[in-house]
Amino acid sequence: MKSLRSLTRRRVLRGMLAGSAVSVGLPILDCVLNESGTAFAADGAALPTRFATWAWPLGLGEDDWVPKAAGVNYELPTQMRALQPVKKKMNFFTGGQVFLDGQSNNVHFTGLQGLMTGKVANTREYLGSIDALVSEVIGRGTRFRSIEVACAGSPRDSWSARLDSGLQPAEVSPAALYKRIFGPDFQDPNAAEFTPDPDIMLRKSVLSGIKEERQALMSKLGAADKTKLDNYFTSLRELEQKLEVQLQKPQPLQACSRPATPLAQEKLALTLATEAVERHDLFAGLLAHALACGQTHVANLVISRPQSGLRRDGDATAHHTHTHEEQIDPKLGYQVTCRWFTNTYMDALRRFVSTFDAIKEGDRTLLDSMVVFAFTDHGSPRLHSVRNYPILTFGSGGGRIKTGLHIPRPGDQVTRVGLTIQQAMGVQVSSWGVGSNRVTSAISEVLA
Amino acid sequence: MKKTLDYGSGRGPGGRPGSRLVTGLVASVAQLALIAPVLAAAPAAGEVPMSWRLGPSQYRQSIAEIFGPSIVISGRFDPEYREAGLLTIGARTASISASGLERYGELARNIAEQVIDEQHRNTLFSCKPQSEDTSDDACAREFLGRAGRLLYRRALTQHELDAKVRLAGEVAGIRQDFYGGIAAVLSDMLLSPNFLYVYKTVERDPDDPQKVRLDGYSKASILSFFLWNAPPDDALLKAAESGELHTRRGLKRQVDRMLASPSLETGVRAFFSDMLGFSEFETLAKDPAFFPRFTPKVISQAQEQTLRTIVDVLLTSEGDYRDLVTIPRTYLTRSLAAVYGIPIADTTDNGQPEHWIAHTYPKDDPRAGILSHVSFVALHSPSGRSSPTDRGKALRELLLCQEVPSPPADVDFAVVQDTTSTVHRTVRERLLAHSTDATCAGCHKIMDPIGLALENFDAAGGYRTTENGAPIDTSGELNGTKFDGPVGLTKALHDDPALTSCAAMKAYAYASGRMPSRTDPALKELQSEFEDSDYNFVELLRQIALSEALYAVPPSAAPRPDVVTAAR
Amino acid sequence: MNIARVLGQASVPWLVATAIASSAQAETRGYIISWFGTATQVADFKENCPEDRNGGGAEWMIRDLISIGYPPAQARRIAAGEEMSEGIRQKLSNRAVVNGKHVSVYNYPDAVPDPNIETVTGKYAYGFDLGGANPAAKFEDPETGGKVDNQLWRAIGCTAAFRAEPPELPFPEHVSWTAMLETSPGWSIMISGDDLGKDGDVTVTLDRLTQHPERDANGDIMSAASYIIDPAARSHNELRGRIEGGVLTIEPADIYLQSEMPFYPEIALTNAHMRMKLQPDGKLVGYWGGYFGVLSFNYMMTSRPGHGADAIGIYHAVKKMADADPDPITGQNRKISSTWRVEAVPAYLLQTDGHIVADAVMHTAGVSARVANAGGDE
Repeated sequence: MKSLRSLTRRRVLRGMLAGSAVSVGLPILDCVLNESGTAFAADGAALPTRFATWAWPLGLGEDDWVPKAAGVNYELPTQMRALQPVKKKMNFFTGGQVFLDGQSNNVHFTGLQGLMTGKVANTREYLGSIDALVSEVIGRGTRFRSIEVACAGSPRDSWSARLDSGLQPAEVSPAALYKRIFGPDFQDPNAAEFTPDPDIMLRKSVLSGIKEERQALMSKLGAADKTKLDNYFTSLRELEQKLEVQLQKPQPLQACSRPATPLAQEKLALTLATEAVERHDLFAGLLAHALACGQTHVANLVISRPQSGLRRDGDATAHHTHTHEEQIDPKLGYQVTCRWFTNTYMDALRRFVSTFDAIKEGDRTLLDSMVVFAFTDHGSPRLHSVRNYPILTFGSGGGRIKTGLHIPRPGDQVTRVGLTIQQAMGVQVSSWGVGSNRVTSAISEVLA
Repeated sequence: MKKTLDYGSGRGPGGRPGSRLVTGLVASVAQLALIAPVLAAAPAAGEVPMSWRLGPSQYRQSIAEIFGPSIVISGRFDPEYREAGLLTIGARTASISASGLERYGELARNIAEQVIDEQHRNTLFSCKPQSEDTSDDACAREFLGRAGRLLYRRALTQHELDAKVRLAGEVAGIRQDFYGGIAAVLSDMLLSPNFLYVYKTVERDPDDPQKVRLDGYSKASILSFFLWNAPPDDALLKAAESGELHTRRGLKRQVDRMLASPSLETGVRAFFSDMLGFSEFETLAKDPAFFPRFTPKVISQAQEQTLRTIVDVLLTSEGDYRDLVTIPRTYLTRSLAAVYGIPIADTTDNGQPEHWIAHTYPKDDPRAGILSHVSFVALHSPSGRSSPTDRGKALRELLLCQEVPSPPADVDFAVVQDTTSTVHRTVRERLLAHSTDATCAGCHKIMDPIGLALENFDAAGGYRTTENGAPIDTSGELNGTKFDGPVGLTKALHDDPALTSCAAMKAYAYASGRMPSRTDPALKELQSEFEDSDYNFVELLRQIALSEALYAVPPSAAPRPDVVTAAR
Repeated sequence: MNIARVLGQASVPWLVATAIASSAQAETRGYIISWFGTATQVADFKENCPEDRNGGGAEWMIRDLISIGYPPAQARRIAAGEEMSEGIRQKLSNRAVVNGKHVSVYNYPDAVPDPNIETVTGKYAYGFDLGGANPAAKFEDPETGGKVDNQLWRAIGCTAAFRAEPPELPFPEHVSWTAMLETSPGWSIMISGDDLGKDGDVTVTLDRLTQHPERDANGDIMSAASYIIDPAARSHNELRGRIEGGVLTIEPADIYLQSEMPFYPEIALTNAHMRMKLQPDGKLVGYWGGYFGVLSFNYMMTSRPGHGADAIGIYHAVKKMADADPDPITGQNRKISSTWRVEAVPAYLLQTDGHIVADAVMHTAGVSARVANAGGDE
């Protein structure tokens, strides 16, 4: 996919700003893209497909939020009204369930375990999440194979796990994320000149010293230790890959611009939902830039862990506790305080998606060449139900999936949604999941 | 605070003698030859991993011991994971994520840059290169050999050292900077799995060629991370190299030395931080509207308060372990005293770090013992209101080694949401359903009654006698013993045999990296010895450190006669 | 019951006495002053200042520019931001002429004519009857209905800076108070009596502390923190008082509390009166009144010129309105009747030897913030 190095670039302004080098890329407009703005002019290669996941805690509520109509002419339930502006680019999957096959329902976990990895197990093993499988295909060749962020301050709030090296901890500080992506190692893809940094070359070749130690180590270890060592070297390969990427001229990306530095936060751990969504907005902006600048093709955001300790200002009781203890209002049919949280998150989701939709790439937007996959721990959390999971997707992945649909699949395995999305993103897989959660065909009405 | 580094006598400030790079002996080729040939045998497939990933505190301690405390470590580590209640067990299965390796890489480069800077190179290098603008194999070999032995916690093999010297030379040539070459290799070593993981390797047992045993280096690492939370110092490495650790006497000598060292406190603190779940402090936050006295200072001070108290009871006084839950003596700062609602006379100058002041509660004060500390009642509370279930669960799992099962699926809280009831004013009233609904009662009755006895402590650790205007009823129960309030709870806890048997279990698990089964004979023996010693914790540590079980190799690990030895 | 040990080095940890001081009184509550500022009365601004001619920063700058010869139109332009320059600023600052030389007007405010700002002509102001001779100069206290002396309010009540209501302090006081809090010792109030929940006689003790006020997680002054009282006699005031209907008052006396710049250099009130409510949440809120030094007040105002206060206008107004303690030679009154709004939050107070002398009572149900003390008398 890296075949565009011979294009001419415009000069980049380099200035010294407050002592650190800042480059301001001049956007390259249509001279790089083809006439319809859908592909790079030089060789017709399509704009890269991107993928993001978005996890929010504690579902949609105890009322019946499944729309009556299927297809395009459906009405959003009230708690999702905030998403009306992006409804056309959205798909709403309902009805899917996770089958336990005799495993215990570790509440706020097992459902997600099944939905995201295809496998439920008492051992709480969590390997090979959808985004990791997708990043295998579209995440090679970028500086970061994927980026994980979490909005309430805990790096363990992550639902992204590689097949071979486990759970990816999340970045919790926007300032730190900024530094990691747009700090000194950032290569502007729209830069006219490119000279590989000799320091990076040296770093990369020095890493070979570690690789030499591998053989000696492997010969001394037990099987379980060898597996761990393998995981380590997988991560090391990624590190090398990052350095390798930085030694090559990046593709030009029209929409790439370096964002403003977020102010460093003093406290990382947050307890208010409003603070978490503020941090969410900062992350959304940074991720949009990172995707637009080709630093990664896969991003994962978690608002907070499902047993969410997030609260409303002035209320000592957390969202999670409310889902269990708050009365369902007999007239309204739902829990009023919990609804406030859900509304807050759906609003945030709209902003997330709109941030990507606001970035133009030719005649389309960044969102159009993406799929955003939004999921939650229980559709109706009060009873820890693992039936009827809501999944929302946004974007068409560069035209690979249709959008604007409500797809009801009552009683179906929810893993079918995961399989469908994987296939759409180019993962070469014809079945996915284990036991009763195994599916062998995708949801064809969604595939383009 | 300036520390003078007195490297002449081989002692660093506050450090153990001889652990520093400058004073360690060179692991010469001759010494390498003395080490028994290591059999490149692998224990049977599918075993529990014997190695573990260096935790953040172990990483920091390693750098401080080897390169000195003036090396600044600014970076974040991959989060640690708990397994069976301990981070050290979680470290056994932890791998390093890609983003984690990025961070370790930055850390490594950063540390290496400091080691070679003008300030440090004079004290950490015992040789000078012929010219600073190019390679110098002899000096590189000298430094990297010594540093490598301490970093990898074993002597480098000839092959390894040669490779590193070569690499250092190449980089020095490219950069025209001897120290730059050293820094490159050093940062490599800090990123190597040999440093980031503590591997346990085996060798053939010379007394019984059919068996394998852990080699001396592995025993040294187990010992030093257990007792000091630090890598083996030079003396311990030498004991490993000479075979001393394989003898009963030699092992005892080292254990005695380590238990008598001031570094024991570091190890004990690390153990209790792990056991009591202090990693939760990283994400602890309280709503300032409800708990204005819970300032950010309190978060780090709260950990220190409990650790100081523990060190006081178990090390300084070598007291009875059970006293931890009833001891009326603790240490407070002015900020902590405000949280607890206690007057305290502190004359710290304005703007200076607060002093630690010994404080003794009156007899039968509900605040006696570590349960009343912020590190228990506030740590195991949500950010708004308190949760007796959380506290009961924590007490069971952390102090009594009793697992509480997960809540069941499809729990119906309709009982709690009785439409005819008035607002439940106290948590006890709200939790009544836990004890009356059959699906809930089974588990909740082992948690809630404990936590309810602690309801005088709000979610930040402050004391209260009413909640929402209603008086708090603090009657509770532990394993059949009924009591009223925290004093009764702590007395019941003190007398519960699970308290001490759990301490032994956790300490053994911490040292060995796996949770033993309750019927494990080695564990049973430790528990019995603990009781005989009147629950002297230092004695428990000694017994564990000297136990054969700690150094056991899985029985299925058989030597493979066809594999070439790894001696180089 | 342990009596704490002798004062040692600051770094020596010591045991803290856990019993309350045994004194003749049965209950002693401690507080730290968390808010101190001019008692403003803003609701009736229109009645207070019917001419409303003082304006704000722009207006007094225009006035001052005109006074040094700028034409009004140009003065208005300068005040609006055009043509303002460092040179003009310097001219304004140094417009006083003494012995033929230009000097800072803030050091020599008498060297410029009285700008004659509008002063309060309305009816209401908080305060106390301090025995002022002129009934026409008295205000009516909106809370008590009594006739009160508060010439300070008369002088400054029509300026923009003092048009602030709690929780806002008047701007110059806000800036200075905040700056002082971070670095200067606090003041304590101690109330002792048989039962502070009931009406009765009490002793009120004011002191300076050795530590500066602690802030809590919200940035407010923390309740239930511990403070050590500064043993120096200078700021020690023992007053006789009374609690009735939950309100504390004192027998008139002189009060002295050493203070720090940038705030008022001292809180010295002669013929001081006090009324403070013991609120259910444990706080004390109320007013202190008395005669305050003109120089003290004006010193603070002129030492931070431009901090939202018309320092020169105020200087002259305060001098004019001063109503007590005439200078034997010039006849200029050196003190002015004043009222201050004061808030205090509960605090533990200790002596330098560790002896606890006052309890922090968080709720006036009488339940101490403390768990249990030695005598078990909780």
